[in-house]
Amino acid sequence: MPAKDALTERYQDLLSVYLKAKTETTLYKGQQFSRKLLEQQISPEDLVSLHIQVMDELFPDMSEEMRDSFDFLLEAMIGYGFAYREHQSLRDKQQQLESEIEVAASMQQTLLLSDVPDFDDLDIGVVSVPAKKMNGDYYNFVKSGNSLSVAVADIIGKGIPAALCMSMIKYAMDSLPDEQMKPHLLLENLNRVVEHNVHSNMFITMFHGVYEPESHKFYYAGAGHEPGFIYNAKEDQFHDLIAKGLVLGVSRTTTYHPYEKEIEIGDMVILLSDGVTECRTNKGFIEREEIVSLIRKYMDLPAQKIVENVFQELDRLQGFELRDDFTLIVLKRLV
Amino acid sequence: MNLQINQEQINETYELKLAGEVDAYTAPKLKEVMLPLTEKEGNIVVVDLSGVEYMDSTGLGIFVGALKSSKAYNSSLKLRGMTERVKRIFEITGLTEVMDIESEVKGEAL
Amino acid sequence: MDIQSCVEVRNEWDIVSARQLGRNMAKELGFGNVDQARITTAISELARNIYLYAGRGKICIEPIDQLGRKGLRIVALDNGPGIREIRKVMEDGYTTSGGLGAGLPGVKRLMDEFSIESTVDVGTEISATKWLR
Repeated sequence: MPAKDALTERYQDLLSVYLKAKTETTLYKGQQFSRKLLEQQISPEDLVSLHIQVMDELFPDMSEEMRDSFDFLLEAMIGYGFAYREHQSLRDKQQQLESEIEVAASMQQTLLLSDVPDFDDLDIGVVSVPAKKMNGDYYNFVKSGNSLSVAVADIIGKGIPAALCMSMIKYAMDSLPDEQMKPHLLLENLNRVVEHNVHSNMFITMFHGVYEPESHKFYYAGAGHEPGFIYNAKEDQFHDLIAKGLVLGVSRTTTYHPYEKEIEIGDMVILLSDGVTECRTNKGFIEREEIVSLIRKYMDLPAQKIVENVFQELDRLQGFELRDDFTLIVLKRLV
Repeated sequence: MNLQINQEQINETYELKLAGEVDAYTAPKLKEVMLPLTEKEGNIVVVDLSGVEYMDSTGLGIFVGALKSSKAYNSSLKLRGMTERVKRIFEITGLTEVMDIESEVKGEAL
Repeated sequence: MDIQSCVEVRNEWDIVSARQLGRNMAKELGFGNVDQARITTAISELARNIYLYAGRGKICIEPIDQLGRKGLRIVALDNGPGIREIRKVMEDGYTTSGGLGAGLPGVKRLMDEFSIESTVDVGTEISATKWLR
């Protein structure tokens, strides 16, 4: 093995130099050399063997005990060699998985793209950012006739299982009849689909609402989802948008309560996923009041600017590391 | 990221005292202990959560699974001693309406 | 030593005997000290598996010569419970011995050739070969 002889020679050079004058430079060169060894996949026990060979060469009169001690070291090193080789193998495996996930993530992006529709009466802003590569939050806008429906869901469990679940919801929703389904009935339908199909430890929180511009009414229902907010322009007050209901997937027979609210000009409907309320800053969990004050700070801006600014501030507060998928939607009535 | 589970048994009543966090890392451990206990008819599983500082949705999922199991096997599952923060997630998700949850003993207003 | 030599494995001491046999044969064949250590370790792991999971079995070691190419073959045999999921057992990261990187994938990497056959409730046969370089 010519390659190995070259390495042996190099190691011998470095070691002899070091033994003569124990300089930091030589130690540094030694480390760079070990990097080269790693590149060539030389195992730990190979290195010990290399050392023995070189020592034999440099000190032919080495004591018996010294020599034997190296043999002992070699044996002990095999264990480290096991770990090293497994590590290499696992790294390769991980790289392969990573690239598969990349592919899946970009497929998901394409499949689940939801455009923010143009809707005359409402200024709509959306931001949805995954914590990892695949987004476990789901949001969907559907324009049907004159109405606009909006859904926000959080699939419990992160990563791939959650994303698969989300695809299922999307297809279930897409296959529902075109005529406007009341939010509470839609949730009942979805609940049955989810309960039938998901793993027992999974569940989905969801909020669904429909805005009808003729009546300026917002009909909505919730399945265990983090309450959003509603901003009343006349009072200049934010209120919790409560829509009580059991999360999807627990029981086949769950029913949901229909809610409705009048939306005046200047009012805002704010929907979010719990990635927003799970934000942790240095001081601890963020309070809902803080989110409200952030929205208030930017509320005179267009809806898209509001959500982007709020996201940026919360992102910054968390050190740019999201703990959970983050979704924030603002609907502002213009006319 | 750490969860301690203390288990005590008196006849068919199993009490689990939890301390720490129930999250994606510790949830499997809780599932391993709690789920089998719900799989026998007549078992009463009481989980004390007064020592639980944080629970995320994965942790909640374990309780959902345990709830479904207890219904299927006809055992009973009770939760008690939740802190405000933990109780909130059970409330928002509507689980307080379908699970047997006692409010904190420390005189918290219902 | 042209013939196969076998060691019965029934207790932990037998693991040492199997190691010794392997090391001697490897030395005699001319394997360098690192390869001697690898062969011995492979024998050690296989014998340990027999001891831990099958209770008893045997390790046979023989010198081989294939068209002038010399090497050493180890065969580990037992009539133990067999391995239910061979695929899983050959995966990295999966180990029941608690060791880092050891187990069958580790043994496979120590040797040049490796094959395994196992039937539940019948037994297991693992064969591994190392060639002289």
